[in-house]
Amino acid sequence: MTNGIIHKLAAGRVYPKRRFKLGCVLGALALALTTALAGCGPAPGGSTAKAASGTAGSAASTPVQGGELTYALATSPDTLDPRRSGLAVSVRVFGALYDTLLIRNADGSLGPSLATEWKASEGGLSYTLKLRDDVKFQDGTPFNAEAVKYNFDSIIDPETKAANALALLHPYKSSEVIDEHTIKLNLETPSQAFLGNLSQGMLSLVSPTAAQKDGENYGKNPVGTGPFKFVSWSENAEIKLAKNPDYAWGSAESPNTGAAYLDALTFKIVPEEATRIGGVQSGQVLAAETVPPQNVVALQNDPNAQLLQTNTIGFPYTLFFNLEHEPWNELKARQAVQYAVDLDSIVKTLYLGTYERAWSSVTPGILGYDESLEGQIKPDTAKANALLDELGWVKGADGIRVKDGKKLTLHYVDGSPNREKRNDIAAMIREQLKAIGIETEVEITQDIATVVYQNWDYDLYGNSQVNSDPHGLASFYHSTEEEGRRTLSGLSDPQVDEWLDQGAIEPDEAKRAELYKKVQQYISDQALILPVYVFPYTVAAGRSVQGLAFDPFGYPIFNDVYLQK
Amino acid sequence: MLQAIASRLASSLLVIVGSLALVFCIFYLLPGDPVLSMVDPTSVSPEVIENLREQLGLNRPFHERLLTYFGDMLTGDFGRSLVGSEPVLPKILHQVPATLLLTAASSLIAIVVGVALGVPSAVRKGGLIDFAARIVGLFGISMPTFWSGILLILIFSVQLKWLPAMGSDGWATLVMPALALGFVGAGSIVRMVRGSMLEVLGEPFVTTLRAKGLRERLVQYKHVLRNALIPAVTLIGMQIGDMLAGTVIIETVFSRQGVGRILADAIMAKDLPVVQGVVFFTAIVYVGINLLVDLSYAAIDPRIRRRGAGQ
Amino acid sequence: MKHSAAAAKTSGRLRRIRQAGLDKAPCGAQHRTSGTKLRFGSADVLTGLAGIAVSFLVLCALVPGWIAPYSPTEMNTAAILQAPSVLHPLGTDYFGRDVFSLIVYGTRDSLLIGICSVLVGVLIGGTLGTLAGYAGGKLDTVLMRLMDVLLTVPGILLALTIAAALGPGLRNIVLAIAISSVPGYARVMRGQILAIRRRGYVFASRAIGARPSSILIRHVLPNSAAPLLVMATLGLGSSILAGAGLSFLGLGVLKEIPDWGALLSQGRGYLTVAWWICTFPGLAITLFVLSINLIGDRWRDAVDPKRKGKV
Repeated sequence: MTNGIIHKLAAGRVYPKRRFKLGCVLGALALALTTALAGCGPAPGGSTAKAASGTAGSAASTPVQGGELTYALATSPDTLDPRRSGLAVSVRVFGALYDTLLIRNADGSLGPSLATEWKASEGGLSYTLKLRDDVKFQDGTPFNAEAVKYNFDSIIDPETKAANALALLHPYKSSEVIDEHTIKLNLETPSQAFLGNLSQGMLSLVSPTAAQKDGENYGKNPVGTGPFKFVSWSENAEIKLAKNPDYAWGSAESPNTGAAYLDALTFKIVPEEATRIGGVQSGQVLAAETVPPQNVVALQNDPNAQLLQTNTIGFPYTLFFNLEHEPWNELKARQAVQYAVDLDSIVKTLYLGTYERAWSSVTPGILGYDESLEGQIKPDTAKANALLDELGWVKGADGIRVKDGKKLTLHYVDGSPNREKRNDIAAMIREQLKAIGIETEVEITQDIATVVYQNWDYDLYGNSQVNSDPHGLASFYHSTEEEGRRTLSGLSDPQVDEWLDQGAIEPDEAKRAELYKKVQQYISDQALILPVYVFPYTVAAGRSVQGLAFDPFGYPIFNDVYLQK
Repeated sequence: MLQAIASRLASSLLVIVGSLALVFCIFYLLPGDPVLSMVDPTSVSPEVIENLREQLGLNRPFHERLLTYFGDMLTGDFGRSLVGSEPVLPKILHQVPATLLLTAASSLIAIVVGVALGVPSAVRKGGLIDFAARIVGLFGISMPTFWSGILLILIFSVQLKWLPAMGSDGWATLVMPALALGFVGAGSIVRMVRGSMLEVLGEPFVTTLRAKGLRERLVQYKHVLRNALIPAVTLIGMQIGDMLAGTVIIETVFSRQGVGRILADAIMAKDLPVVQGVVFFTAIVYVGINLLVDLSYAAIDPRIRRRGAGQ
Repeated sequence: MKHSAAAAKTSGRLRRIRQAGLDKAPCGAQHRTSGTKLRFGSADVLTGLAGIAVSFLVLCALVPGWIAPYSPTEMNTAAILQAPSVLHPLGTDYFGRDVFSLIVYGTRDSLLIGICSVLVGVLIGGTLGTLAGYAGGKLDTVLMRLMDVLLTVPGILLALTIAAALGPGLRNIVLAIAISSVPGYARVMRGQILAIRRRGYVFASRAIGARPSSILIRHVLPNSAAPLLVMATLGLGSSILAGAGLSFLGLGVLKEIPDWGALLSQGRGYLTVAWWICTFPGLAITLFVLSINLIGDRWRDAVDPKRKGKV
């Protein structure tokens, strides 16, 4: 279900169902450098405080009309059709081209966008939404209930080969057009995550006229309702958008509900970190995303540049033990690793203080986040050694522990390219585990799809995911019945299943939060994972760029941006 | 002469077909399953995967796939990229100008520097120019291009802020990549030109010419250079090909658009149709350059011209 | 019939010329024509220095522990990104590892990639060239056409494709570089064999009834080996560059001790804040390749039969 795909997402790329195009992509150099990430990456704006600091410029100045914003992306979008996209980088562009039915406010609550009111039915099997009646797509097609129906129906139509959107829309069944501007969405099963997902960029609404006309090629000729309309896309180079002068339906929360201040918005694709950031400093581009930690400090002191940063919400970058592999199916073995690895030092060294360390299986900002887990586990080599001694692993001549003639090894798999310095985390963990007699074999592969999701050939593998709802935990920790399918952890515990199942449908927020706290506690007590860092989306921008803010998922909002002369 | 060219073309065609078959074989033997990287193996049923394989023709025997591939290509169908599902041909053609521009600029630098330093350095051995030529020659072939590219960025973009470090818009962005790439070619060409000049200078006919009282300048630039050029032209041809290949790295270092970037991406994504397309493109350029090289022999060396005419 | 004969002739000419070019490219023929004591002296000083550099690097590869002040895996997180100082002569990287020690320890794999791929390439290329040259006829045509095909795909592209197909790993990188260098060695070897077969002593041995295999082993091979060995020496430099290039593009392995190319690639992102991380490994590569080329040049001069004849 949903979970399967989302969790792939997390891998940084999404392997869309049945779509062969996809971004799958392994990688490519481009992805490579991408750090930011993709599908997954993290997302939204975890701490509100930071998000606030993420707004460029002072609120005091008056917006200036006109000008072009050039924004350097680390990787190229796969398609501009939100239904078919599998990459987070595409969503950055969607925000300018499209609108969603709902939006997520900075405080985590849901707000109106194209839908003004929404109501769940008794039992949660359907939602009725009232739509704005003053909206039209950039090609003149009116936005109405029929358009919403077309969008959602086409996502679940296998012909469309929808990617992440399909997972996000689950368990959508059908739509009923009540009147021109009222629609009822029917679900297969109740889902507390459904409504929230309607605020995600991958569920942006496309013009039915354009989508039907261009079919598979729609992704290169997108038409939305957003503040910018599509002009051109030259591959691996740039995507040009121009102001949509008719735009008058910006979210009430945003400072600018009317047409954009900018005349034009151009995304440039610049995979090399150094060149991307250098471009801002030299004025070749006005903004560039995913600033490497080592450049953050320099930028903060640069009189010509500013640094915007927002934490993303969802599931932090987390290393999962494979519970089906010995000896990591034993709690004490996992705990030994938990005590031996000094994550504080790793996160500080590699990210130079720019990333926050993660403590739980979800990030702050997600419903039910358990603060009590913060600071609970401290590195303790003596304890780690003692645990392994108890299990009967004895240090050999080379310092590596042995039991029954077998060496104590940990097969650590990570993807290439080295996104967010994840390969370097592996290198540091390898050093730290050597100290307690564990030999870590680090395998860096471009083929995560095969190694991890096909062969499940890892003892430790890391993943992250942008998400708005704790229900996503099920994709990592809920047992699976189907043959050949499993989760990254491989956990199968009826108690956890029960909490997760209950959480999916519990309408009472407080009770829901409690359930997910229990899950987090369990995961931590059982040492199922090593939570590493919360991903901040960072943007370097020239001083003239004002009003650039981010939604809680970490996606930039362009409608409010203007260029100070 | 024409016939010679025609037969050259025929054998070139054979070579292009061969290189495509070669890449096809490499990917055929490649371990990963391209279908698995296209779909989510955990959420897609085995039938769907099977269908996809069927659709892509991955189930058919090797020779059949190879034949279909060449058949399609004859009709101008290079297939679709596995990653973006867009047609391969326009995708590559779109990037060709940027790469050719870079290759041409680097080649120009390489040839000009190579010949301008190589010739006088042989004539005036031990002098300042000779010293410079030896330095360019040795460092040119010893420095990794990605390193010299990085050094250029460090000096001219980061420190001096004279030149843009990235992109492919405008002439300013072309300077550093072309320098980094051209330097390598210049190194080889200097060595070659210098070496063959020296060799020819030692030939008896030079002594004869000198004895006949020809002006030294005429001896050197008319007779010696002409004779030394043949091996140099061959090498220049090969160098242009190598610079074309070098764009894979340089386009990455400088974040330029181009065929090299596409190729690097495609190789890592195991996107066979795109890799094939790029190899086809490079093979054509390579073969084209070789043809030009052959033709230029005739221009340089009257003996070859005559022999060619005789055939 | 006539047609193909013409083709063979033209491409044969091209091949000969090319081979001559290849042979001479890094030509040090300057020593041949003039030989004042002084110049020989200065060249020898340079070669001597190169020899010292190579010996030092070989020593680093064999016993890094004697030279490196720190363990290459020691991560001193209290001293990350430190500029070169007395404590850390080449600074520290982002893990707090000592860059000098990393380079010293990284020598082993860097040299290993170079040496192994040259060995494998020479072995395969030499064998194929010998076969083609000695057997002649159809086998020769087929083998050399195959080499033409390999040459049509530029070396780095071929290596990149092969490395991507085989997956990361030291062995695969070696294989990728080796295969892409095979055609060059095969051609030179074939040319040598063809030339030597026609020498008087070969005819003489045949006349006295020696078996072809013994002629090959006792006369032809030993006499053809020298140019191949010189080419291999110079090839060592380019193999190391190619290996570094592949590591740079991310086809290397995440080893505890990175080779030079990988080290450089890792340090690239820190260019503006810690230039030393990628500058010094690049310098190490350049120094080594430069030294090898200097030595190779000298050796080439020494074994060049033309030179022998004239000096």
